[in-house]
Amino acid sequence: MRTIPFHQLTSDEKYEHFMERIENNEKMEAEDWMPDEYRKALIRLISMHGISEIMGALPEKEWVPKAPTLYRKLAIMAKVQDEMGHGQLLLRVVEDLIKPFGKTREHLLQDLFTKRLKFHNVFHMPAPSWGDAAIIAWLVDGAAILSQTMMLNTSYGPYGRALKRICQEESFHAKHGESLTLALASGTGKQKDMLQAALDRWWESLLTFFGPKSKQETGHSNVDISLKYKLRTKTNEQLRQEFLTKYVPKIELLGLTIPDENLHFDKSKNEWCYTEPDWEKFKMIVSGNGPESDARIDLRKNSYQNSQWVRDALKTYRENRSELIG
Amino acid sequence: MNESEFYEEFEVFSRKRDGLPLEHRFSLTAPNKEMAYLLAKENFFRREPIKELWVVKRKDIRMMNQKERESFKLLDNKAYRETRGYTDLPKKWKEFKKEPQIEEA
Repeated sequence: MRTIPFHQLTSDEKYEHFMERIENNEKMEAEDWMPDEYRKALIRLISMHGISEIMGALPEKEWVPKAPTLYRKLAIMAKVQDEMGHGQLLLRVVEDLIKPFGKTREHLLQDLFTKRLKFHNVFHMPAPSWGDAAIIAWLVDGAAILSQTMMLNTSYGPYGRALKRICQEESFHAKHGESLTLALASGTGKQKDMLQAALDRWWESLLTFFGPKSKQETGHSNVDISLKYKLRTKTNEQLRQEFLTKYVPKIELLGLTIPDENLHFDKSKNEWCYTEPDWEKFKMIVSGNGPESDARIDLRKNSYQNSQWVRDALKTYRENRSELIG
Repeated sequence: MNESEFYEEFEVFSRKRDGLPLEHRFSLTAPNKEMAYLLAKENFFRREPIKELWVVKRKDIRMMNQKERESFKLLDNKAYRETRGYTDLPKKWKEFKKEPQIEEA
């Protein structure tokens, strides 16, 4: 049993104590002492995740007014609402982490508008048909579920608790996506073509969703730090392999063709081989130069500006009636 | 009033069913209690029914700091406060049954 009280430790001893807790699979809380490297890795990871949830609702939101039936409209609305809710949870986690730097949610939003805060490559892409709505809901969400489930046991307590809630709701999203896809896949020739065209558009984005294999592809990788601190337990490539194992047989069963002639499972290596995606293009897209990047960021910016009057009204109300609100 | 004064931190608690304790849900930021309550409903209860919902300003909660959390681990063996400190009782009863004590006349 430890005999030195925590507040008497030197910073080296604190680091040692911190790593001991990481090794013992203890969960860190917002007010705990943590090395800067850990805090910065958390901020980078969770702000990107949170803002991706919010930006990820935008391509699907385009399909709310155009959904083919009332049931689909209600379901896709519920899903868009969930994604926004997930963004709220995650940004709340980030807010507590950036507090020591004197930063708030306002800074995160400004960073999004100036493209300093990045979001997932898939949400920079267009969704021109109902087939895209199906592929996004089935496969983009499927990919997201794999990486979120992997992080459920993350060493940072508040993130783990947010993910637990998010994963519960994502299981509805997965069913919703399957349902949209199965409906189109068992529909008319035109509907099947629509699904195939959407898969053709999305395949490369799906492959790059998990990020590059290693430092060689993009020049830097934060995966090592994340593994060291047990923020995550699997590498990008492990997740991509899991994704292929889970979805390639299902895609083929539906009679769809994956647009990669080199895709196959190599039994001797026990892994999927595929055509290496264009990582330069990926880097360009996540830096905010994808086909829909500016339009989606503008949409978010306008929505933020158009709702300024609500915040102003609440501010005035509070300043004038603070004694009533308490 | 700047943004960090405008938004206040709230902790959200809820009771799922009768007979269960209030459980911590998550936290959120809002400019006042009523907005915090509305946001809590929107953010956490879009699906499941609940029996009770509380929002509490974080600054009104006396939380532990890390020093306090760590020193809680240093507490001595408290077996004397728990049933596990009294596991020898059945053995003692058994001894009584084997050799009945004879009361002195």
